[in-house]
Amino acid sequence: MNVFVNERKTEIPQGCTIEALLNLLESPLKGSAIAVNQSIVSRSQWSEYKLNDGDQISLFQAIAGG
Amino acid sequence: MINNLKNIHDQLIIADKSFSSRLFTGTGKFNDQQTMLAALKASRSELVTMALKRVDMQNKDDDILAPLIKNGMNLLPNTSGARNAKEAIYAAQLAREALQTNWLKLEIHPDPKYLLPDPIETLKAAEVLANDGFVILPYVHADPVLCKHLESAGCAAVMPLGAPIGSNKGLKTLDFLEIIIEQANIPVIVDAGIGSPSHAALAMEMGADAVLVNTAMAVAGDPVAMSEAFAKAVQAGRQAYLAGLAGQVNHAVASSPLTAFLEAG
Repeated sequence: MNVFVNERKTEIPQGCTIEALLNLLESPLKGSAIAVNQSIVSRSQWSEYKLNDGDQISLFQAIAGG
Repeated sequence: MINNLKNIHDQLIIADKSFSSRLFTGTGKFNDQQTMLAALKASRSELVTMALKRVDMQNKDDDILAPLIKNGMNLLPNTSGARNAKEAIYAAQLAREALQTNWLKLEIHPDPKYLLPDPIETLKAAEVLANDGFVILPYVHADPVLCKHLESAGCAAVMPLGAPIGSNKGLKTLDFLEIIIEQANIPVIVDAGIGSPSHAALAMEMGADAVLVNTAMAVAGDPVAMSEAFAKAVQAGRQAYLAGLAGQVNHAVASSPLTAFLEAG
């Protein structure tokens, strides 16, 4: 199935969790925040939260700033 | 001796944390990560700001978080990029998830040219976020009335500006910073515009509780040496404030005895 990560179409296996998606994308877990269809998903739910086909995922990361 | 003891225990307390260093730093604009880490170390800063952004899936940024945590830094995520209270609240919630801290530098600047903070939206966001358990340090104009409103809203400190972000122009708002410092019951951290160690020392001599510096260190000829200079200036300014500055007068007051020794006899 496909989801959209920051508007980019991404193929993921059925039952893929947020944690599995981040591993797939080789994104660091620390310093990241995720919203699925505009709702922020708490880090404590990442290992259980299963993504659905067509989900719009926003991935944020801590960067340098003043 | 008494003053030395006073200085040793001179900790800055904000919410649940206590700081030995009154110099807070940003992590932006450094040429590379190695220079940034060396500069932060030289600054002896214990609180560093970070931003949050949507990941560009084709052009990912370096992971700067891991080395900061490794170096024992406390993190202060900001809401840079938010143009109104609604966006700032969303950014704050994301930042809390990303960095696992409820500390927040609340900044809302809708105008990209001057990056001046929006007072109405900032107060609105602060009221909501304080009720949601955030430790809020709002970036604001040097407006004493607004700072009192933010204090009443439950902010942990206020961060009035000296001059526009990155301008390095110093304490253009000096008279108003003095009023803010006089009236505040929460720490006052002078943020933005501090362009040289002497600006930082002046803010500390005036009784500011801390200063936040980023651009002046990051884009200096030698960022590491400049960060060390800032650390010394902040320390000197604080010590001068604690020592009690001699007052100013308009007439001369002799420092040497004026006895007319040539005629003495």
